[in-house]
Amino acid sequence: MSEVIRIENLRKEFGDVIGVADVSLSIERGEYVTLLGPSGCGKSTLLRMIGGFEAPTSGTIWLDGEDVTDLPPNQRAVNMVFQDYALFPHMTVGQNVGYGLRVSGTPRAEIKPRVAETLSLVGLTDKADTSPAELSGGQRQRVALARAIVRHPKVLLLDEPLSALDANLREQMQVELRNLHNKVGLTFIMVTHDQSEALVMSDRVVVMRDGRVSQTGDPVSLYDAPANSYVADFIGATNLFASPVKASNGKIFVSCFGQELEIDHPAVDGVPAAERLFGFRPEKARLVRANGSVPQGNLLKGRLENVLYHGAMIRSVVVVGEGRILVDTLLDDTFDPARHAGTGDEVFVDIDPHKIMPFARDGAS
Amino acid sequence: MANRNSRLVTSLSVVSLLMTGTAPAFAEGELNILTWEGYADASAIEPFEKETGCKVNATYVGSNDDFAPKLAAGGGVFDLISPSIDSTAPLIEAGFVEPIDTSKIAEWDNIYEKFRNSGGINKDGEVYGVPYAWGAIAFMYLKDKFETPPTSIAELWNPDLEGKVSLWDDKSALYVAARLNGDTDIYNLTDEQLDAAKKKLAEQRPLIRKYWSTAGELVDLYAAGEVWISNTWAGYQSSLLADKGIEVVEFIPEENAEGWMDSFMIVKGTPNEDCAYKFLNMAVSESGQCAVANVNGYSVANPVAAKNCMTPEQFVALHQDDPDYLDSLLLWENLGERLGDYTNAWNAVKAE
Amino acid sequence: MRLATRNRLSSGGVLSLPLVWTFLFLFIPYAILFIYSFWEKKFPTFVPAFQFGNYLELMVDPQYVRVLLRTIKIAGLVSLLSLLLAYPYAYFLVHKVKRPGVKLVLYMAVVLPLWVSYLLRAYTWKTILGTQGILNSFLVSTGILSEPSSVFLYNQTAMVVTLTYVFIPFMVMPIYAALEKIPGSLTEASRDLGMSAIQTFVRVTLPLSMPGVIAGFTMTFCLSFGDFIAPFLVGGPDGMMIANVIATQFGAALNWPLGSALALVMLVIVLTIITLSDRLQGVGRGKYA
Repeated sequence: MSEVIRIENLRKEFGDVIGVADVSLSIERGEYVTLLGPSGCGKSTLLRMIGGFEAPTSGTIWLDGEDVTDLPPNQRAVNMVFQDYALFPHMTVGQNVGYGLRVSGTPRAEIKPRVAETLSLVGLTDKADTSPAELSGGQRQRVALARAIVRHPKVLLLDEPLSALDANLREQMQVELRNLHNKVGLTFIMVTHDQSEALVMSDRVVVMRDGRVSQTGDPVSLYDAPANSYVADFIGATNLFASPVKASNGKIFVSCFGQELEIDHPAVDGVPAAERLFGFRPEKARLVRANGSVPQGNLLKGRLENVLYHGAMIRSVVVVGEGRILVDTLLDDTFDPARHAGTGDEVFVDIDPHKIMPFARDGAS
Repeated sequence: MANRNSRLVTSLSVVSLLMTGTAPAFAEGELNILTWEGYADASAIEPFEKETGCKVNATYVGSNDDFAPKLAAGGGVFDLISPSIDSTAPLIEAGFVEPIDTSKIAEWDNIYEKFRNSGGINKDGEVYGVPYAWGAIAFMYLKDKFETPPTSIAELWNPDLEGKVSLWDDKSALYVAARLNGDTDIYNLTDEQLDAAKKKLAEQRPLIRKYWSTAGELVDLYAAGEVWISNTWAGYQSSLLADKGIEVVEFIPEENAEGWMDSFMIVKGTPNEDCAYKFLNMAVSESGQCAVANVNGYSVANPVAAKNCMTPEQFVALHQDDPDYLDSLLLWENLGERLGDYTNAWNAVKAE
Repeated sequence: MRLATRNRLSSGGVLSLPLVWTFLFLFIPYAILFIYSFWEKKFPTFVPAFQFGNYLELMVDPQYVRVLLRTIKIAGLVSLLSLLLAYPYAYFLVHKVKRPGVKLVLYMAVVLPLWVSYLLRAYTWKTILGTQGILNSFLVSTGILSEPSSVFLYNQTAMVVTLTYVFIPFMVMPIYAALEKIPGSLTEASRDLGMSAIQTFVRVTLPLSMPGVIAGFTMTFCLSFGDFIAPFLVGGPDGMMIANVIATQFGAALNWPLGSALALVMLVIVLTIITLSDRLQGVGRGKYA
């Protein structure tokens, strides 16, 4: 593996507004990297700077060892799949795909077979003479992909490529995109605001916030070890609460909405401290019905307010003091609806002390 | 014929309601008059309305070409019209106008005999028009541009004046060219003579700055220094230019000039005949005659009335004292069947 | 049930009003013109007949073809000049002006004159182009000319300039709309795929703005084709256009049949152009996917 893109201290200002504050990033050849964040976090601006559509205010972009910071888009060996696909409406599918080959010095005789080959790669062999307007959303998406990869770019940029598709098609295309990446072996950089999409598709996710990188990592480590409460909250759900740290009898305790919980995490050193942020994932906790007696465990007492059905699991909303705690229960064979608590019931939330994570307060990494 | 200034605007029927709110209790009727601007001037109309109770609404035309189409379009809108003498015959022929009982016109016998007997308003022993005003299609030039005053139409063909000549955008241009060719029977030109006139005009075209269409346009052309010599409605544009401090001189060339005469005619089937006759009587009385002389600067049809209401200077200036001047003019005649040929010939010149 | 019926009736009423309007004020007048065109000129006016003499005369007498060709030439030049000026302007507005306020002001600068009387706007050019006009004063005061020139006014060039000024909004508006409608991502995609800015304009922006160009060309052409005021105001002795000829046939010549025949020929030409333009627009138009 070698580095194909290196970004150094990249910054972009739009008048008084800072689009990208200071980003440094290195991307390996063949990697599938996702820029993830809410709208306005600077992910699209970063992608567009790599594509050459925005000029950075400062910083450098290296593409395969060459400084391309000031090169126009047509002189960079990167290609982009646009959010709205940007297919040329006055050309056929075949002309769209062949468009980029006409300037790159490809001999005419070679264009046709290459277009056909690329179209077959995305499963549109018979659509070469069709107008883009006659295609479905998913087919247009594939044409846009074919048009971008036909030039064998060093990096393929994808700007929210699946956002215009409906849910079913989106899942199908996620798989296809991933397969395509494996097949063509190009470097993919994708922008999305959909955390599940990012987790499903990427080798590496770059979580962005306010023009900066909040955390970079593979999906598993991002989910299991979020570097801060922002990432924890953005990727999956997290029950967050603020609390001082208290030591007692060699154990460490925190207060979750007024109730004491034991915490046993290597990052908490046992020294009592001022208020910090803590959190745990809803699926790490367990809901226990209060049958008049208090069960064993690391417990929060509350009242079941709502039960949200999610198909493969249910999400229970438990009112604890001033706050609300989410608990996910997998609906597998062991689940017994008769034994599950009903809305309004007194319940306990049981959480393993190992599963409670400490965070820096402001979310900065 | 009157103020044809901004023909484009006025021909869109600017209806002027001359009297508002002072209608007497004995109002007898309403007269709708299709006429030239200035021919229904308040100085004459207001007393007329007070005296007779006939309310007058005037609609102005921009050109003689407007009368026939407006009447041909039908409608019974107008009671009185005032076309020029070359445009009256088709209206009589087409039955758009009614014969006039001249015994009901008190001053009829005071009107120039030449006008009373003119072919343009007489047909089969009936009279169809009451002559009102007249004048010449004279020529004029910018005084300070000519050391020797021009006396001939030929001056409008002088190559030295390239780009400084203007001519009325009308079949009248053919009359001018024909006279220069020596064809004096300008209203009965043969095909060959018409062709020769066409050629003459084509020859002149490079010298033409612009063919003028309205009185105001010609005034603007002189005022902007674009034109030095042209033909003109005698008395009218020259006085407008004098008001602007631009000195032009009118002249009747040795090839002679055309003359025009406007008469009021009663539209067939008018329900306001009584008022119409009252208006005709007023028009050829001192009140009506001096109104048009003062407002438009035209000569009038009734020299007896003119003598009484004009100053001696005005009387002379308007040639009211000089029957020979009137006789020398080639009074417009209707071209009849030949109108189409004349119009096409003139259009052909402009199409070159 | 009754409510539904009434709704159908009232929607029929809404639809029928424009139909009645079109019928009364468009179809009937043209039908009358059509009938007149076969009538015969006969002193003092004209009489009903069914003969093709009027159409024949239009073909035989060279003046009509001559004026028609002149009119087509002038209308064509006006459209071409409008296009050359309007396209860069619209392009500049859409792509180079970033601030919406400035964009609006510059757009309105083109469109607002439409609220001013045509006559007044055309008249303005007289004061600019005249012998003692603004242009001449400028050229003389700067020493470019030693004395005022009369070549600027009262000729066909002055007509083309004036008509271009008067009708250019009808070119700017559709081109602006067409350019505005092209998604920015399309030009970016073209750049992304290796095309230079100029190649992108030629291959993407220009073809996609063609419907606007054709619409603008059609409108400016048809409007100038039917114009009869510019010849009157700024035209010279060779300025007469086809509409002026029609006007004289209806007025001075009192030959409504010939005028009607000429008006119908004009109508056919205009309709042909509009149909052609519609076809062309249909060809070039891709739906934005």
